[in-house]
Amino acid sequence: MHITKDMKMVDVVHLNHHLIHIIHRFGIQLGFGEKTTAELCLEYGIDLPFFLEVLNTYHDSAYFPLHNLQQFGAGQLVNYLKRTHQDYLEHRIPEIEELLNCLMERPDLDGESRRLLADFFQQYKTELTNHIQNEEGIVYPYVLALERYTRTGSASDLEYLQSLQYSIRKYEEEHDDVEEKLFDLKNIIIKYIPKPKDSRLLNRILHELFELEADLNNHAHMEDLILVPIVEQMERKLSAINPA
Amino acid sequence: MESPLVILIIEPSFLVREGFKTLFSQMGLSFRMEETDLPVANLGKLIQRSQAKLIIINPILLHQPIINRADAAFSGLIFAGLINEKTNDAITGQFDAVVPCNAGRSMLIETFEDLFRKRGLIEETQNDQQLSERETEILRFVALGLTNNEIGEKLFISVHTVMTHRKNITHKLGIKTVSGLTVYAILNKIIQAEELRGN
Repeated sequence: MHITKDMKMVDVVHLNHHLIHIIHRFGIQLGFGEKTTAELCLEYGIDLPFFLEVLNTYHDSAYFPLHNLQQFGAGQLVNYLKRTHQDYLEHRIPEIEELLNCLMERPDLDGESRRLLADFFQQYKTELTNHIQNEEGIVYPYVLALERYTRTGSASDLEYLQSLQYSIRKYEEEHDDVEEKLFDLKNIIIKYIPKPKDSRLLNRILHELFELEADLNNHAHMEDLILVPIVEQMERKLSAINPA
Repeated sequence: MESPLVILIIEPSFLVREGFKTLFSQMGLSFRMEETDLPVANLGKLIQRSQAKLIIINPILLHQPIINRADAAFSGLIFAGLINEKTNDAITGQFDAVVPCNAGRSMLIETFEDLFRKRGLIEETQNDQQLSERETEILRFVALGLTNNEIGEKLFISVHTVMTHRKNITHKLGIKTVSGLTVYAILNKIIQAEELRGN
């Protein structure tokens, strides 16, 4: 079942409660009343079709918003992806860190295991931060410049683009194991730590890790299936106008 | 990823066909369903075209309700019959498994799991996920930060062999990264935290 403009926001959340994070990311606060997605988007000044596509890609991983691709500028998408990054770094990661800090102070696990988990998570955090910095420092500025150039055709933008010597192909080829570390951390907690005296706090940590993973997967999905094709299209236009 | 099991279902009722899809999905089966809701004159041809391994048949759609199981074209295939209390014994008896049309969920799951397991259509879950001695040795070096080249030299094996071992280790443990393997190695006392390079 897909999420439409006439659905009440309360029903969207009942359909898939994981979507509350996404809804919040658009700045929509709780207390939806009987309002539909369209009404709330109007109220908050949010682009409704874009909002629906994001919710639907998250809700159904098989959903492919091909037919609506053209109507979104890369700028809007980049903005959303940046907000997602911000959400990870300012909220989700610190929340997990807080839980891990609680774990450090409790006797649920022996000292060494606690330390290993905390260290491993710090390594993961560093990698994720680097990954995000790479996207925000190199990939997104390139995409935005490209979009500006296809709109204005200004010489300075073109110069800037050429100076970057970047192409989205590079981005696709870059492999990092950000996802793999998270995968490992989950399995270590589920399978390999010595039996804890009490697993409740660890269960909460696991739950947060699964949520984060699902969110990251969706993030990557949007980059690969929506952002990259839009950028490739702009690149083709660019090289047609300015053959290298 | 192995290719999904192709299932051919010959059944007039849309609801029943959809029900089988739901059932197999719930069982976690990787499958592709070919469907027909019309009477079948040439079963052999239909099966051949669908390349199905499992055929679920409501015999009321067969022109000839008795299937010639000796036909070479049918060898190695599994036939499951959707029957009711009026279906006669000769028809019921020819199937590898029969499913009464009013069967409950747990009976259906039991019947098909049994069938799949007997015919090797689903793999038995492997319990033996223990690392071999060689794998443990290699894991130890990986955790200590050695490269595949260095490990190969130490153990007098090719880099290729080292990589194969590493693949198996990752598969068995469900841990993909070097730092994850290091944590595993420490937790399992394969290495001591103090041994780590740089410490």
